[in-house]
Amino acid sequence: MATTQETKPDLVTLTIDGKSARVPKGTLVIEAARQVGVMVPHFCYHPKLTPDANCRMCLVEIEKMPRLQTSCSTPVAEGMVVKSAKSDQVEAARKSVLDFILANHPLDCPVCDQGGRCDLQDFSHEYTATKSQFQELKRVFQKEYFSPLIETQMNRCVQCLRCVRYCDQVMDVKALAPVGRGTLTEIKAFGTHELDCEFCGGCVQICPVGAITSRMSMYEFRPWMLKRADSICGYCGDGCQITYQTKNNSLIEVSSTHGSGRNNGDLCARGYFGYHVSEHPERIQTPLIRQGETFQPAIWEEALEQVGQTLLAIKQQHGPDAIAGLITGRCTNEDLYVFQKFMRGVVGTNQIDSSVRYGHLNGVRALQRVQGTHRWTVSFDDIVEADVLLLVGTNVTETNPITGLKIKEAVKRKGAKLITIEALQPAVGTISNIVNLAHHHFGVRADGFQGAVLALMKSVLETRGMAEDVKASATAYGNDLMAQLSGLAWSRLENRTGYSLSDYGHAASTFCQGKKVVILVGQDVLRASGGYGMTMNLLDLLLLTGKLSNPGCGVAPLAEENNDQGAFEMGAVSDVLPGGFSIDHAESRTAVSKHWGRSIPDSSGGALPQFLERMQSGAIKALLVVGENPLGSLPPVSGIEQALEGLQLLVCQELFMTETARKAHVVLPVCSSAEKEGTFTNTEGHVQAVRKAVEPVGDGRPDWEIFSALSIIMGDSMEYGDVKEIGKEIRNVLPGIRPLGPTPIPSKPDAMVVCGYVGGEYRRDLDSRYRLIDEQPDFSDELLVSLRQSLFHSGKFSLKADGLLKVESEGKLYVHPDEAARRNIGEGDQVDLCNDRGTIRAKVGLRERIPMGMAVFPEHFDQEMRGLLSYAVDPETQVPYYKLAQARIVKV
Amino acid sequence: MNVKEWIKTLTFYEILLGMKATLSHLLKYRPITMQYPHEKKSLPSNYRGMLALLRYDDGTEKCVGCDLCEAACPSRVIRVVSAEVPGEPTKRYSKEYYMDMTRCLFCGLCVKACPVDALGMTQEFEWAVYDKRQLHLNKEQLLAIGDRAYPVREKRLEFQHPNVAYFNVGFKNIPEKDIQ
Amino acid sequence: MIFEQLQNEVTAILARYPVKRSALLPLLNLAQAREGYVSEPAMREIAKLLDLTPPQVFETVTFYTMFNLKPIGTFHLQICKSLMCALVGSDDLVAWIKNQLDIGPGQTTSDNMFTLSVVECLGSCGTGPMMQVNDDYYEQLTEEKLKRIFDDLRRDGTCSLKSGPFMYPESAAK
Repeated sequence: MATTQETKPDLVTLTIDGKSARVPKGTLVIEAARQVGVMVPHFCYHPKLTPDANCRMCLVEIEKMPRLQTSCSTPVAEGMVVKSAKSDQVEAARKSVLDFILANHPLDCPVCDQGGRCDLQDFSHEYTATKSQFQELKRVFQKEYFSPLIETQMNRCVQCLRCVRYCDQVMDVKALAPVGRGTLTEIKAFGTHELDCEFCGGCVQICPVGAITSRMSMYEFRPWMLKRADSICGYCGDGCQITYQTKNNSLIEVSSTHGSGRNNGDLCARGYFGYHVSEHPERIQTPLIRQGETFQPAIWEEALEQVGQTLLAIKQQHGPDAIAGLITGRCTNEDLYVFQKFMRGVVGTNQIDSSVRYGHLNGVRALQRVQGTHRWTVSFDDIVEADVLLLVGTNVTETNPITGLKIKEAVKRKGAKLITIEALQPAVGTISNIVNLAHHHFGVRADGFQGAVLALMKSVLETRGMAEDVKASATAYGNDLMAQLSGLAWSRLENRTGYSLSDYGHAASTFCQGKKVVILVGQDVLRASGGYGMTMNLLDLLLLTGKLSNPGCGVAPLAEENNDQGAFEMGAVSDVLPGGFSIDHAESRTAVSKHWGRSIPDSSGGALPQFLERMQSGAIKALLVVGENPLGSLPPVSGIEQALEGLQLLVCQELFMTETARKAHVVLPVCSSAEKEGTFTNTEGHVQAVRKAVEPVGDGRPDWEIFSALSIIMGDSMEYGDVKEIGKEIRNVLPGIRPLGPTPIPSKPDAMVVCGYVGGEYRRDLDSRYRLIDEQPDFSDELLVSLRQSLFHSGKFSLKADGLLKVESEGKLYVHPDEAARRNIGEGDQVDLCNDRGTIRAKVGLRERIPMGMAVFPEHFDQEMRGLLSYAVDPETQVPYYKLAQARIVKV
Repeated sequence: MNVKEWIKTLTFYEILLGMKATLSHLLKYRPITMQYPHEKKSLPSNYRGMLALLRYDDGTEKCVGCDLCEAACPSRVIRVVSAEVPGEPTKRYSKEYYMDMTRCLFCGLCVKACPVDALGMTQEFEWAVYDKRQLHLNKEQLLAIGDRAYPVREKRLEFQHPNVAYFNVGFKNIPEKDIQ
Repeated sequence: MIFEQLQNEVTAILARYPVKRSALLPLLNLAQAREGYVSEPAMREIAKLLDLTPPQVFETVTFYTMFNLKPIGTFHLQICKSLMCALVGSDDLVAWIKNQLDIGPGQTTSDNMFTLSVVECLGSCGTGPMMQVNDDYYEQLTEEKLKRIFDDLRRDGTCSLKSGPFMYPESAAK
């Protein structure tokens, strides 16, 4: 029913302070007033939250209504005449409301961090008389330690409960509660315990007064001292807009304004409290050149000369294919573009790879193969508007918290149905859990998603059949897939996943009822064996149900790093040209090389796993590593250590001395994302501007400058004046990359490609995709250890962020309390994890959301844990899989 | 020109008029020049002399590091670095406080702006120095000026009225803020 | 794990409500009846039972004055301080108790026998000053009466002066 009403909403005309407003029916008076430029003062109202009308500040006079009305909870009506600023009665009411609030609010503005940007301050300057009617003493709360990152001063609280409602309605964390009653209500966590929550900073941002402030920058600034720079967060793929606030060239605070960016002003702990990373004292200040066992500081000319000459010598002696490059998806599009242009055009090799290879490539490749686009066909707005959301292995609230917020909004506010296939199980905890909101949840082990995906597909197709047009236009495709699915016995699927035919049936009927279906694929799928096949299967599912090309429907693989999507689009992958074209595609190769005026080698070079082999065999003599840390992220089984040993030249462009950088011959300091200009492409394919907030630390330079300088030394000059020039070239080479709209226009599936796919291309790996992966032998004694991203960290990078370390400073092996009890282990106990690859020691943490038989370890602290991991390479996409391990757990 | 003016000109009336004060002092001698370094002029009570930071009667400094003086100063004399008092979480103070007196106009706006009356203008004006850098004063120097210029001190804000008892107080048993 | 022995009661309470969190107040009552106050482990356990977070339970407990967050004495003296009783001397009552037991509002005697609270109207306005001791009303109190009540309570655990509760018709009929 809801879908039929999605025509133009009825408009209502009303008059506010003599100005005529025409707004959709159901708009609140305060919102209508804002639209015609009448600012109604308020504390408790916020557009993101449901109206509470508890502060009484927004009282307005409405003709023909007996009393003053709260404009934040009154919807507009036809012909309404509202008086706000022009009514004496309203003025008097606001005065008395403020008098009541100030009866208890301390006048400590001078020592309050909100002073200067405080709603209460502004309104009292506007409305209050300077003398209060109240002679009574002000209320005083006992101050207690609240949390390491967030500070409360409850004496200042005006009890608008915005923080509490934000924590519940938007974040779904419910960590704050109004405790007590009446004027003595205070915001607390639980008893006298300190706050333990997601630390999204939302309460700090939404507090209209200084009751909740950030401890990170406490007392270091006054609002009028700060300089602002709107930029993009450098942690996950969500691409949130953040505003760096700086004072004297140091980062003071990060904020995000309501209504701006893809995140609409919401941030997560990483974005809000993780900004100190770029000012960490351990930042590399100058170029470093290895002298024996130690590094000597050098000047840029010296270091670049050494790198350039060595590269040139290796190229001349061993050919360009003796040089390889690895870049991180944390760089800007411009850096990535210049990097691959340097490697391809100047060095002359396609041996480049980036962190897309660690997983995101699986998703992008599948999208490209089935629907011909490398971007999502949906945007965040489509997620919010979706009817049915299917989440597969996303753990979205931790890996991509803002995408998670969109899902929460869709489910909690818009009534979308949520189906989850996740390793987690529903449990209320200190951080939100998307599974709690699911209407149909399939809690399968981290290595068993495939079974659940296939079972759901089978159920959908068996109960509802495929869409009529697919049946007609792609009969062979449909029949082949049906045959594959019917080849899977229900008993096996039920056995494998632990859910019954009817469970899948219910979920399937929900799935089929959805008009707008968005499938989100997360890292647990993309980074685990079979990830590519599973994404393909999910695309098949949409295709078979005829939803793939419907607007608002699509498969959306979630990117882990902030610019993974950009790294693919800029061609920082061995077999991908800028624009996502295949290197084997001669036409696009010619087109790009014409733009560059340089030839592009046609051999595809090989991906990261091949580099490792070629490095071990000595075929690769030099490796450029830009912001990556292969030694710190790949497991020892991959042979990374031996591979790096044999290199003649290892160059690292880094912010910090990583494990890999310590082995390097030359280390070059670079700029963090707060220190350079450029663009990031977020997971939905939205290109957004990154702006410079502070000057680089030490001699750091943007990565592209380094490549540009190297190209000159190597005698094949590739000069750029600034980032804008690179941007211009990118837009010439890739006309599709048009950045900086307020909202992205999602790409559409390419009908030609879809046709080709259903016409026969699908057959290539059909059998392997629809064969259940062999069952892991079930060791009742062993745990499946899964390395996962934690909410409070992003890669190894954020381990330098003081704020985040205060929340999570060590890796714990998280298991279910019952699992721990079964093994007689308690919280904080030391355990040994052992398998045939080795033994490591870890501390145990208890979390109810972890299923039995599984353990989760945050991947950021995995130095030792990597020794246990199994390692496999995807035959199709060459993605290395190394996030899972089977291990015995022994109490020490 | 009439006769009256002729007479005035002939009798040097204007000159006499102009010399009236001089001549009267000739008759009634009283020295006016002050022997400055040896003699000191008494200054009006609201004289705007050297700035100083003040203390409460128990010796704690009044300044809460609110930066309002810095904001009020028209010639950017003041620089405040505020921070949390070590060991007393959520209590604010000025970790560093600098005044570049070479730029000061002695307008007194900073004193007016101060919410806790931590700044005062003393009667001191003899601040000639050989090196301008000596006029760049830090917190200790400013407090020292205050100490000698304001011997009578207020009692602590906390004890002045119950409503300001919790104006800027820390609390106990808490880990300290260690991010700098 | 206070609800482990109360499985039946918990199931019965949960069955009464279509929405789980509606069972919050009855469960809190149950916890208080069991331990005399609502303890933190109890709040955590209730939160888990109802899919709430502990702060949400805590919020509710602190809103209602009849839930105790601290252990209380054997006898909970609740003195009505609302207007009617105040007019006939509930302040004196507090003073007498201070005199006899040496406790003020919110305090417990050192022998853990009596805890004094000051509460809003108990609906016995015609017979003030009055107090409620656990579930029993004592009305038209005087200093001598109080002394007798405390002596009796200490000795027998009950006192013949009690005149209630009249909150439920069925107990009034007894």
